[in-house]
Amino acid sequence: MTGEEDDGRPSDVTGSGPCETRLWRSLEELAGSEEVRRFGGAEFPEAATPETIDRRALLNLMTASLALGGLTGCAVNRQPWGAPLLAQPRLAPQHTPGVPLIFATSLELDGLGRGVLVRSHDGRPVKIDGNPLHPASLGGTDVFMQAEVLSLYDPDRSTVPMAGGMRRSWDDASLYVTQLSHQFQANAGRGLHILLEPCASPTRDRLIALARQTLPEARWYFHAPLTDGNTHVATARVFGRPLDPVLDLMQADVILTLGGDPLGAGAGHIRYAADYAQRRHARDRPLPRLYSAETSPSLTGARADHRLALPPREIEALARQVLDLVRNAAPPPAAPQSLAAIIAGDLRRAGAGGLVVPGREQAADVQAIAHAINVELGAVNRTVRYVEPIIQASTDQSSSLLALAEAIGRGVVDTLLILGGNPAYDAPGDLEFADLIGRVPSSLHLSYYFDETSRVCRWHLPARHALESWGDLRAFDGTAGLRQPVTVPLVEAMTAEDVLAQLVGEAGDGHAHVQATWREVWGEEFDARWPTALEDGVIAGSAAPAASLAAPVGWSPPPAGPPVAAGYSMVVFAPDPSVWDGRFANNGWLQELPKPFTKQVWGNAALMASDTASALGLATGDIATFTHGGRTIEAPIWIMPGHAPDAVTMTLGYGRRAAGRQGSQRGFDAYPLRSSRELWALAGVTIAANGRRDALISTQHHHGMEGRDIVRVVPATGPVNWPVEPRRSMYPDYVYDGNAWGMSIDLDLCLGCNACVVACQAENNVPIVGPDEVAQGREMHWLRIDRYFAGVPDAPETYFQPVPCMHCEKAPCEVVCPVNATVHSSEGLNEMTYNRCVGTRTCSNNCPYKVRRFNWFNYNQKPPAAPDAVQNPEVTVRWRGVVEKCTYCVHRISTARIAAKMEGRPIRDGEVMTACQQACPTRAIVFGNINDPDSAVYRCRENPRSYELLKDLNTRPRTTYLARIAGLGRGSVGGTR
Amino acid sequence: MVQLFRPQADTAFRLWVIASAVVVIIVLGAGYIYVRSDAFWRVGATAPMQPIPFRHDLHVAGVGIACAFCHSTAERAAHAGMPTAHACLTCHSQILQGATVMEPLRTSAALGTPIAWTSVTRLPNFAYFHHGVHIRSGVTCETCHGRVDQMRETEKVHTMSMAWCLDCHRNPAPNAVRTEPEGSAVEGSRDSLKVSEIFAAPLTNCSVCHR
Repeated sequence: MTGEEDDGRPSDVTGSGPCETRLWRSLEELAGSEEVRRFGGAEFPEAATPETIDRRALLNLMTASLALGGLTGCAVNRQPWGAPLLAQPRLAPQHTPGVPLIFATSLELDGLGRGVLVRSHDGRPVKIDGNPLHPASLGGTDVFMQAEVLSLYDPDRSTVPMAGGMRRSWDDASLYVTQLSHQFQANAGRGLHILLEPCASPTRDRLIALARQTLPEARWYFHAPLTDGNTHVATARVFGRPLDPVLDLMQADVILTLGGDPLGAGAGHIRYAADYAQRRHARDRPLPRLYSAETSPSLTGARADHRLALPPREIEALARQVLDLVRNAAPPPAAPQSLAAIIAGDLRRAGAGGLVVPGREQAADVQAIAHAINVELGAVNRTVRYVEPIIQASTDQSSSLLALAEAIGRGVVDTLLILGGNPAYDAPGDLEFADLIGRVPSSLHLSYYFDETSRVCRWHLPARHALESWGDLRAFDGTAGLRQPVTVPLVEAMTAEDVLAQLVGEAGDGHAHVQATWREVWGEEFDARWPTALEDGVIAGSAAPAASLAAPVGWSPPPAGPPVAAGYSMVVFAPDPSVWDGRFANNGWLQELPKPFTKQVWGNAALMASDTASALGLATGDIATFTHGGRTIEAPIWIMPGHAPDAVTMTLGYGRRAAGRQGSQRGFDAYPLRSSRELWALAGVTIAANGRRDALISTQHHHGMEGRDIVRVVPATGPVNWPVEPRRSMYPDYVYDGNAWGMSIDLDLCLGCNACVVACQAENNVPIVGPDEVAQGREMHWLRIDRYFAGVPDAPETYFQPVPCMHCEKAPCEVVCPVNATVHSSEGLNEMTYNRCVGTRTCSNNCPYKVRRFNWFNYNQKPPAAPDAVQNPEVTVRWRGVVEKCTYCVHRISTARIAAKMEGRPIRDGEVMTACQQACPTRAIVFGNINDPDSAVYRCRENPRSYELLKDLNTRPRTTYLARIAGLGRGSVGGTR
Repeated sequence: MVQLFRPQADTAFRLWVIASAVVVIIVLGAGYIYVRSDAFWRVGATAPMQPIPFRHDLHVAGVGIACAFCHSTAERAAHAGMPTAHACLTCHSQILQGATVMEPLRTSAALGTPIAWTSVTRLPNFAYFHHGVHIRSGVTCETCHGRVDQMRETEKVHTMSMAWCLDCHRNPAPNAVRTEPEGSAVEGSRDSLKVSEIFAAPLTNCSVCHR
């Protein structure tokens, strides 16, 4: 995509011409396999009847359909007068029945806070969106924030205390905790060991500090599977003490990422993605250049101008070379054209605008080198700011899980309190932590589910959900935000802070504990500041200041270790894009969310490059046995285009044994292979095929569009001239006097993060269908993200394209519906009227974009359906036998129209936001009135990059795309738009 | 060969065919008439059981309380709103304070539990109705709910069928009697039809009521 397009012609990546690059969705498609053709030939291959039907049978069926057709209009009215009309005894202040309330609160990921706004209908939270005031969100969300509301109503959550496998009353449980409290206050906490998840909560920190005073002999440990001390070890090497890097991508001109996924995963990625998008489209500055060196494809790598697929040891080698070249002004004559030289040259030219970002999974040396390069470039306090550790949990070895395991082994642990987390599942396999817990005489586990750890502990207490509890959390940049309950507790439960407060004997509930913390901080100003902080969800001006760094000396990395023996033996671990570390395993929205690269659902796989797989004699779907140090796991293989050779990526979080009905026994568990010394990359793993296969479920071949120009890429410099084709249609044109709704999706900003998909599912009551149905191509997502590869399989370009309904002006679906169930509205919406639909699916068959979905069963009633409580009351819950599709969030349009009408004014631009638009961290989706020349969407449509999908069909879609801007040439001067 | 059918068989068959056709027509016709009748839509019916024998006629015509005093959100929200127990007790802590029929009211206020009234004008779940915008467009309460001020027991006065809604949505002028407030964006407009022509989609789009 570079260089060749300088003649000013747009590059149709699927178009004809000398520089044609074919788009492909999978290696199977590239090879023309039977399975792909099967999904291309019929929309629902399982439903397509292979044999021909005879005339008599056809007439019989037609007669029956005709005779019984009217019955679909019959409904049994079990309640002749409908549901009761409830009159409340008194109204809650500021609450109008039926009008949703919005609360600002904070959700946690990796122990850090992300601010959200929760929409609650009559006391029932149904939708989560980003808090525009919160620095970790700026209004954007990710899949985990969106899906949290489904976990709140999870019917599998723990509801009662358990002891020794028996249900116990809360009286018994409280008595037990009180006894513990008395016992340990008497002996200063001797024998008490407490394991917590690292969490940046000021209230929790205050209670821990209090407990350390009152129970000086107690021992504290912190464990989460995805946070280890490498970041702090690395910063300590370079700066002398542990620090956290906070990036400012708005300032960055040249970025090198070493593994990790700063734009696509982690506690700060929403902000980073937003900053990068804003930087990319800053009009007065040249395009930034992003280099990514990574082992496994990540969203950052897919967005990068240059992506290098390297196994971990070569990433380290690259980092060392770049550091050397940045430090030594004269380029070594030996390899002037080496990649490292090009990258180093770019970084040097960018100077303080350069930035190197190491991934959390990189070795401490690699991370330290990255920080050293930032120091060398003068980037500190410009593109990256180092702050004192946000999470106060001690990083020293004495508080690690390893130390706890040793303490249990020595037999000094009398009582073990595990407040949150699931170490029996997610501890590294070599600790055999589940067995260790069994050796502790008295153990208690506080958790949301009765999970693997609860099963091995003596006591289990149900934990409150984040949306039911009080609290506070610091964000990735240190900004504190408050957490408030948005619903009454759905079950009786406790938080970790409640347990800690009981231990130290602090009276009061969660509200009191949080208030006490901030009363200490604010003193006299408390009463004035608390209501504002609660309403905003964020405490203004609380971001961590840049740490004062003693003039950093030129730290030099230790000499590289001995090279690891070559071979296909390096296993790299990564959080799963759907279930993260396993905590979201029982969330149906996330389980059914196609992963960005594999489009796999309801499971995971070990990713490897095709060369690696063929050398091992493996193919996608084969199960292989991975052995290391006497520990063995079995995992299905997925050949991933763009994966680095000589390495295997395993995502954590699957293979749960006690996650609940949706999450247990899905995928494979990679934790047993993990080692407590080598958390992220494991060398010397033996891989052997065992002859069995697994039917991996992926949506990558579903809903394929066959056509040219699907994803367009334009050069960074030079004009864009799409060929203009005459548009003629036999159908008369519609006339729009008022609003004409349209959407524009910027493929240059879309990262493929999936937030819009879950947001759409949450907002529009899109059902979960389960793995067996997805395998038949029956997933119901109204908005899908198509992922295309272009180029060679080893190092492809990756493109993401969100595809909602196009709301065509000349919609092929409208003219074929026999019952007028899908009609054109006077505002140009292609409306779906469920009550009229009789389920012929002709519309779906006629849709070139494949955006229509059919309810084969009562998916909203049949497991794994979402509970009724999470359904959005603004949107009809669909029944079996009807077709549905994206409505452009027509209920939000209606709400805005009603508000405008009542105030006697037109609908303002930006007043209607679709759910996908609201969720998008990079603001790639713009929605509005295309009749209004002042609207944002009008300007997008006038952008030279704007194009219509499958334009040659002349459907005239209302959803248009802005072409992606091609990556810049290596080492070249940045272009502008 | 024996005759299978007697000479009358042909006539009997024809009569049977005609009779069947008549029966089918009668059944279909009766069904058609029934589903369009007021009885099918419960027009004129009153709810069999209400927790409190509330009388609109006494409160509206007798005492002179306006609709919006109790149904307080009708002018601004989708739901008209039901009076809270506390609102009722504004007067009923003095009037009829010991009456047995008021027991549910006192229970509700004391225990904080809602009173479950039976709705006589309930739309199905897939129809999204907004009281506020109708009142804003000049549709009076009486247009849909009838002369509630004269009802001893609240009854349904219109079918509330989709056809009935569409009668007005196709031609709102007779029922929309709004006068524009001062300084409105629509100059000189005195009827809401103009308003809908200017800012709003025609009222017959499916998505106006169905989402």
